[in-house]
Amino acid sequence: MLDGLWDTWYTLVRYLRTFVHNPFWMLILLIQPLVWLVLFTQLFQSITTLGFTSGSYVQFFAPGLIVMLAVFNANALAFRLLNDINYGVLVKMIATPVNRYSLIVGGLLYIAVTWVLQVFVVLIVSFLMGARVATGVGGVLMTFLIVSLLGIGLTGLVAAIAVTMKRPEPVVLIANLITLPLMFLSSILIPAYLTPQWIQDAMKFNPVNYAILAVRPMFLTGFDWTAIGQALVVCGVFALVAIFVETAAFRRFGG
Amino acid sequence: MTNIVETYNLTKIYNKTIRAVDDISIEIQEGEIFGLLGPNGAGKTTTIHMLATITRPTSGSARVGGYDVLREPRKVRAITGYSAQEAGVDEYSSGREYLTLFGHYYHLDNRTIRSRVDELLELLELTDAADRLVATYSGGMRKRLEIGTALMHRPQLLVVDEPTLGLDIQTRVRIWDYIRALNKDGMSILLTTHYLEETDKLCDRVAIVDHGRVVALGTPDELKGEIHGDVVSLTLPVEEPDQHAQTIEKVRQLLSAQPFVKDVQPTAEALNIYVDQGGVAVPQILRLLEASGLTVGEIALARPSLDDVFLKYTGRKIREEKGKAVGARAAWIRRPR
Repeated sequence: MLDGLWDTWYTLVRYLRTFVHNPFWMLILLIQPLVWLVLFTQLFQSITTLGFTSGSYVQFFAPGLIVMLAVFNANALAFRLLNDINYGVLVKMIATPVNRYSLIVGGLLYIAVTWVLQVFVVLIVSFLMGARVATGVGGVLMTFLIVSLLGIGLTGLVAAIAVTMKRPEPVVLIANLITLPLMFLSSILIPAYLTPQWIQDAMKFNPVNYAILAVRPMFLTGFDWTAIGQALVVCGVFALVAIFVETAAFRRFGG
Repeated sequence: MTNIVETYNLTKIYNKTIRAVDDISIEIQEGEIFGLLGPNGAGKTTTIHMLATITRPTSGSARVGGYDVLREPRKVRAITGYSAQEAGVDEYSSGREYLTLFGHYYHLDNRTIRSRVDELLELLELTDAADRLVATYSGGMRKRLEIGTALMHRPQLLVVDEPTLGLDIQTRVRIWDYIRALNKDGMSILLTTHYLEETDKLCDRVAIVDHGRVVALGTPDELKGEIHGDVVSLTLPVEEPDQHAQTIEKVRQLLSAQPFVKDVQPTAEALNIYVDQGGVAVPQILRLLEASGLTVGEIALARPSLDDVFLKYTGRKIREEKGKAVGARAAWIRRPR
């Protein structure tokens, strides 16, 4: 058990150390959410004239972007794993007594850390652009929890695909096939009532939508405990399923 | 003498049809350097993957250090070091960081890790490059670092997949020296190779593997001893390309019928003729060919090599099947699934 925790820690440190060796990557990682924030708020500015209740679009979009970043980061771990597979690193790790769950959870935590850093950038810049978090620090922490679970679920699934396929090309295709619809079939970009009925129906099966429904009120009005409860259950189950599926993929990896 | 490795009818079948490893039963003694020799696709890598608990056998079983690879994989991992064919190194870390990570994965304490890392960097002559990113390492340095990760926990058994594949001759000789030194300190070593020279120079015993089966097993000298006498290698000049194959077949039949010839094996560019006494056979062969109106290209006499042993058991020369060398950058894994 203790070994497992240490294994997780050293796996996380190994991934994070990449940024020490490549500070430029870190810079790109932090600039990326800024680009989204500026582009989307400019592009969809006029949506507010359709009778938006939320005031400015940045106020509406900032929580959406925070959830979106988790979706966009979903294939980041998959590519690190593919690299490790390609260079014969993963097969070597599997031949050591390292805890299998630690290899997975360490990687997922790494993605969560990069995502949290990006969220800080979004929070600071959207604050400067006039957006406020209605529920303060508590709301931010709850957001971290819900969206981390969502991110772990998405990242774990794509990583499982990568470990199974062992090649990058199908992973890119499949990851886009999964993540982009998940984003569009949610109210990240646009409030649900402005979308067709079938999309609103589809949203009910989308963990991304549960996350945004819980997170957005925390930024705009206050805690919506029903939405938060649903999001925690849906995203929590999703994360557990993903860890299970990824572990199964790891176990099959060597054949 | 106890056995460090024992396999019992070890078999791996991929996709229900591809018998990558087909009923292999071998015993490797403690303190031995044991080689699995065979062409690409013979099942060497799959065999050692099963012993290193990376791949699960379809049937049969294996024990490493007395532990069953399926029932006690963690115990097997703790006493086994595995060095991969694709120089398995992380380009994004330094050599020191990479070795340290494996120390942690083997659950060693920090002090042991620090001293082992220094020790291994020294042994593998990587001290100067220790804090540089692996991305800047040459192929030979990567392979040395890679072997280093498998040695962090001082394993009882070191499993090395193609220790010198694609490396230049100086580096190969150096890696052979490391392997010998480790073995001298009591480490048992199992390696795969398709370099005959490597088996000849390094291994106490060799198993020749072909199509997932062990076709011959013994010390290099024993195996060579099975081919009595000498080998005469004969090439014929290509006069009419479309008839060349027929000419070779004609010569083969002609020579096979001679009482002094024990066997004739055609290879890609020559005929290998196995005889008791080369000195007597060569003039006889030349006279025979002359009498039949055939011209001789080149004729050479040699002592049997492992290559001839391989040819005898598989009907092929090992070098004809040599895959492309994998250098600093590993190829995408293309093993059959």
